[in-house]
Amino acid sequence: MAVYRRGYQRYDGAITSHFARLMVMPRFSWERILSQRFVVILMVFSLFWPLLCAGFIYLSNHSELWQGFGGSIKKFLAINGNFFSIFMNVQSTFALILASVAGPGLIAPDLANNALPLYFSRPLTRWDYILSRMIVLLGILSLVTIVPGMLLFGMQASIAGGDWFMSNWFLGTGIFIGFTLYIAMVSLVAMASSAYVKWRVVAGALVLAFFFLLAGAAEMVNSIFRVDWASALNPTYAINAVWKGLLDVEIADDKPGAWECATVILGLSGGLLALLARKLRAVEVVK
Amino acid sequence: MSAVIEVDALRVRLGRREILQGISCRLGVSGAGKAIGLLGPNGAGKSTLIQTLLGFHKPSAGRARILGFDCHTQAREVKARIGYMPENDSFIGNMTAVAFLRLMGEISGLPKAAALEKAHEVLFHVGLGESRYREIGTYSLGMKQMAKLAQAIVHGPELVILDEPTNGLDPAARQRMLQLIKEMKEQHGMNVLLCSHLLTDVEQVCDEVVILKDGQIVHQADLEAERKSNRRFVQLDVIGDDRGLAAALREVGAEGVSEAPGEWRIVLPADVEIGSLWRVASRERLQIRKLTHRRDTLEEIFLKAVGHIRRTPGDTPAEVPAHGRL
Repeated sequence: MAVYRRGYQRYDGAITSHFARLMVMPRFSWERILSQRFVVILMVFSLFWPLLCAGFIYLSNHSELWQGFGGSIKKFLAINGNFFSIFMNVQSTFALILASVAGPGLIAPDLANNALPLYFSRPLTRWDYILSRMIVLLGILSLVTIVPGMLLFGMQASIAGGDWFMSNWFLGTGIFIGFTLYIAMVSLVAMASSAYVKWRVVAGALVLAFFFLLAGAAEMVNSIFRVDWASALNPTYAINAVWKGLLDVEIADDKPGAWECATVILGLSGGLLALLARKLRAVEVVK
Repeated sequence: MSAVIEVDALRVRLGRREILQGISCRLGVSGAGKAIGLLGPNGAGKSTLIQTLLGFHKPSAGRARILGFDCHTQAREVKARIGYMPENDSFIGNMTAVAFLRLMGEISGLPKAAALEKAHEVLFHVGLGESRYREIGTYSLGMKQMAKLAQAIVHGPELVILDEPTNGLDPAARQRMLQLIKEMKEQHGMNVLLCSHLLTDVEQVCDEVVILKDGQIVHQADLEAERKSNRRFVQLDVIGDDRGLAAALREVGAEGVSEAPGEWRIVLPADVEIGSLWRVASRERLQIRKLTHRRDTLEEIFLKAVGHIRRTPGDTPAEVPAHGRL
C-alpha cells in the first residue's frame, strides 16, 4: 500500500545494536562529504604521491633497471624507515589539508542549528557523538594515509620477500600506529575548530593555523630561553619524532625524543578532547 | 500499573542555584496513552525538569524515573523509549526532511529500511508529505514545528515530550498540531508530556496537569475528573452591601467567595437551583449586575496554584498544601 494511504503506525520491530547506531552518523556524513567535488579532487590528488612511491619501490626492487648507475644509487633506493618516514611526511600534508576542508562541516552545523538536543535525547551519549564524528574524519583521512601506507608496505613485502618482511615488520606497525596517532590528532583539531568557530572557512584556516602557530610558538620559546625541549610543543616536529621512533630512524640528540613527543601529543589530544566535551552539551547552562 | 514518570524528592542544582527543590510526583499510567500538561510561570523549572528527565542534567538529590528506568543511571534505556520535541529550532539545515527523519530514526535504533519507511510515513502523517524532499532549512516556521514533531515520533516512542509545540503556529496549524497530539495518545497509545504556556492547549489535550512554581509542584490535577465533575460555578457581580452574602448562600446550600468588592464566585451543588441566587440577592437587597455560568477552567486552576487569585469556593484547603508539595 502506498505510504500516503497507509497512515502512521508506531514502529514495534527489532532495534539495532549500539555499534550500528554509532555508525549511522559517519555513514550520513561520508555520503555528504564525498558528494563535495573539491574533497574528491583533493583525495585523488593526494594519491599521486603514493603512486610515485609505489614506482620507487618497484624500481628499488628491480636492480637490473639501475645497474649502470653506480653504487651510491643503491643506498638512495633502499626501502627502509627513512623512505617511509619521507612518505608519511608528505602524505600527512595532504591529510591535514583534507581535514581542514572536511572537518569544519562536521560539528558547526549541529551547533548552529541546535541539533545536539535531538542527538542527545536519543540513545547516544556525548562521547558517542564525539566518537561518531571522529570516525568520519578517521575514515576519510585513513584513505589517504593508512591505506596507501599499508599498501606500499605490503607491496614492498611482497616484492622483496619473506626475509625483508621478517626484518622490517616494525615498519608496517610503525606506519599504522604513526598514521593513526596523527589522524586522530588532526581529527581532534578539526573537530575542536568546528565546535568553536561557526564559519567553515575560518574553522578550516584555524586547523592549518593550529600547526603553524604552535610551530612558531615552539621556536620562539626555544630561541628566547635557549632550550631545545620546546620543539616537542611543535605538533609537526612531535609527530615526526614519533614516526622516526616507530620507524627506527635516527633523531638528533639535542632534540626531544619520541617518547617525550608522544607524551606531548597525547596531552594535546586530551586537551582538545576536553575542549570538545565542554562545548558539546545538549543544553547551555547559564550559571 | 506503573507510572510513566516518577519523580522522587528530585533536586537539581545548576551552578549555585537550586532549580528543582525536592519535587515528588507520579504522572501517567504506562500503556494508557495519557497526556500530562506541565505548566508554570517563567523560571518555574519546567524546562529543567524536562531536561533532567532527558538525562541532560544530573540530579543533585532524589531521582527521576521514566517507565521504570532511572533517568540518570539508565539513560540509554530511557532514551530508547522517548521522543523529544525541543522548544527552539532544532534540525540539520542542509538535509531534506526525509534524510533528516531517516537519520533520526536510525540513531534511535530503527534498521535502515524501516527508518526510511517510517520517515515517509510520519511526514505524510504530519502533513509534510508533499515537501518531504525539500531541505528543512527552507521550511516555514510552522513546517519546522511539524518536522520537529515528526522526528520525535518517527521511532514510535512510548513517551513523547513536547516543549511548546504550538509556538509560532497560526490558528489552523495550531489546531492541526493539537489534533496530532490527541491522535498520538488516543490512536497510537503514546503517553505525552506537554509543556506549554498556552493553557487552552493544555486544557484541550491533557488528562492530567502539574503546575510548577519556584522549583516546586504547587498543584497536580486530574483534568479528566475535573471535566466530569458536576459542580456548577457561577460568577456573580452585585451592587450593594454584600457582607452578609456568604452566610446567606450557605443557608441555601451554596458556597461563595468574594474576589473583589461586588464580585463573587459561587459553587452550586447539583440540587440547588439557580433561582435561589435571585431570592438570596433579593433578601440581601443586592442588585445583580451580572450572572454567568462557568466551570473551573485550567486558567483558574493555574492562577490559584501560582497564587494570583484566591481559592475557588468548594475547594478544600488540602488541595493546595502550604508547603507546596503533593
